[in-house]
Amino acid sequence: MALRPGLILVLLASPLAAQSERARLEGRVPAAAIPTVDSLVQVAKREDLPTEPLVQKALEGGAKHQPAGRIAAAAQAMLGQLRDARALLVRAGDAPPATAAEVTTIYAALKRGLPTLVVERIVAALPQEPRGSALHAVADLATHHFEPDSSAALIIDAARQGLRGERLLDVSTAVLHEVQRGHSQAEAMAVVRRELPNVPPPPKPAGASVAGARRPGTTALPSP
Amino acid sequence: MRGDPSDTEVVARVLGGDREAFGLVIRRYETGLLRFATRMLGSRDAAADAVAEGLVRAYRHLASCRDPSRLRTWLFRIVANRCKSYLSRRAVGDVPLEEAPPVADSTDNEASLERAEQLALVAQALARLSPDKREAFVLKHVEGLSYQEMAAVTGERIPTLKMRVHRAREALLQVLEDHA
Amino acid sequence: MNPIDLRVHQVLDGELARESLPPELRRVVDRLESAAALLAAAVPPQGAGLETRVMAAVRRPAPSGDRVRRLLRWFATPQAVTLRIRPAWSLALAAAIVLLTLVPTDERAPALGEHEGIAQFVGRFPDAHSVHVAGSFNDWRTGTIPLEDRDHDGVWRATVVLPTGAYEYMFVVDGERWVPDHWADRLVEDDFGRENSIVIVRATWR
Repeated sequence: MALRPGLILVLLASPLAAQSERARLEGRVPAAAIPTVDSLVQVAKREDLPTEPLVQKALEGGAKHQPAGRIAAAAQAMLGQLRDARALLVRAGDAPPATAAEVTTIYAALKRGLPTLVVERIVAALPQEPRGSALHAVADLATHHFEPDSSAALIIDAARQGLRGERLLDVSTAVLHEVQRGHSQAEAMAVVRRELPNVPPPPKPAGASVAGARRPGTTALPSP
Repeated sequence: MRGDPSDTEVVARVLGGDREAFGLVIRRYETGLLRFATRMLGSRDAAADAVAEGLVRAYRHLASCRDPSRLRTWLFRIVANRCKSYLSRRAVGDVPLEEAPPVADSTDNEASLERAEQLALVAQALARLSPDKREAFVLKHVEGLSYQEMAAVTGERIPTLKMRVHRAREALLQVLEDHA
Repeated sequence: MNPIDLRVHQVLDGELARESLPPELRRVVDRLESAAALLAAAVPPQGAGLETRVMAAVRRPAPSGDRVRRLLRWFATPQAVTLRIRPAWSLALAAAIVLLTLVPTDERAPALGEHEGIAQFVGRFPDAHSVHVAGSFNDWRTGTIPLEDRDHDGVWRATVVLPTGAYEYMFVVDGERWVPDHWADRLVEDDFGRENSIVIVRATWR
């Protein structure tokens, strides 16, 4: 067997990085959960999976005063779901390696309830760009009980007609507005499809509220 | 070798604008990548194409290699995918046999002839495996990756990879015993 | 295809010592290792062909759309994460790219970065004494983003500058009651028996 001496076996990230994850958990997550979550983070690193969602889930559980066991279970389940997300990208024909952002995007889409095959379809249809907006756009329609397959078809059509990134969210918004105006789902989609690529842009937030916008954690208002 | 820049340093140089430094990456990894691709595709020419395409892709996406100290795994992943694309484009069952490997020395002694025959046999057995099992076996036993590294290369879970490697070993052993 | 004794697999996987096997199984290990060693013989290189070929492509300029796509991909992918410190080399590259981008055209807006947007949080809590929002944009801290009810009509609001992306969040009423945003129509299970809302922050600079 051709054993390669001196293989670069990365078992742990650099000590500094590992420390910073644990440090973020300490004091905010029940002590009993920290070793489990930390070891899951290390496993994720070894497998080239995103670690930030795991840290966020643990912080969320701590903030919501969840017991240690529940936090550990949630993080464990998430690791499996991140693996599934990465496997989906590979199946859909993505050129590796998948970035943390891409895996997280797919994980989030599956979490919103989109069927696996629909997610694969969108990934395969948009090989050269970020899929987050397209997936959220389809999920927005699915949340309102639109059929995921035809929703995906509309969003893919819109993308092929030149609408990119966030603008795909406007396609779903337009469809939902047509339903509010009294159209059936099928009619709403047909109306919007006919107008493609012309889709109303999102409303701009009112000037006053924008001027008052703050960054998290800062108390002073930015100068307008 | 002492004094050679680490992968992290080389990647930093390339991303900093020193294109030529990518030559270091090529020289460092081409042997293993070529060998892996040849065993996967059964043809040296196809393997050269897959590795060349993979390396160009790696250069263009180098900024997305999050951990340059794991460059090797990252490169294998790209080339493994190139091989998968190639195999899926080819007709099923149409696995070219390896070109006859050159004999080690020019004196036709029995030992080296026998080695050459054994290699041809094993290579044939490898070519008969499904691409998944072939990839798993080659990564584990030819390129010497750990199961963790294989998981990073293939995107598969370790238990799945172990099963593929185990089945590949069984298939290979069968061929070897049949021709013993 | 006959199965191989599990112990042989364990030895080949490095989980068991070869010496612990009976002789006939050691032979199986040896056969497989010799086969692997044969395959591991390096394929003769094709001269300097590969390096020459790859470097020729490397030196060719990339198609112009490719660079823009890569920038967009790098920054604009919605992520359910907050920005984290990256290793120095990646940070330097990010700084270099930011210098090349256009400045926002809307003078009235606060000085928003290229990849920042505005999130508006609104909720009706007529009996609340305090309302905050906590989510994946602030590590789920319950005290850092307060909403305000300036005209005391029971409707609380906050407008926050955040990096573009998708985030999960909930409202925290009176420091302890966790409530989803019922006016947002994106909901997702929080894995703790409740539901989080999702906000998608878009770049407003255009």
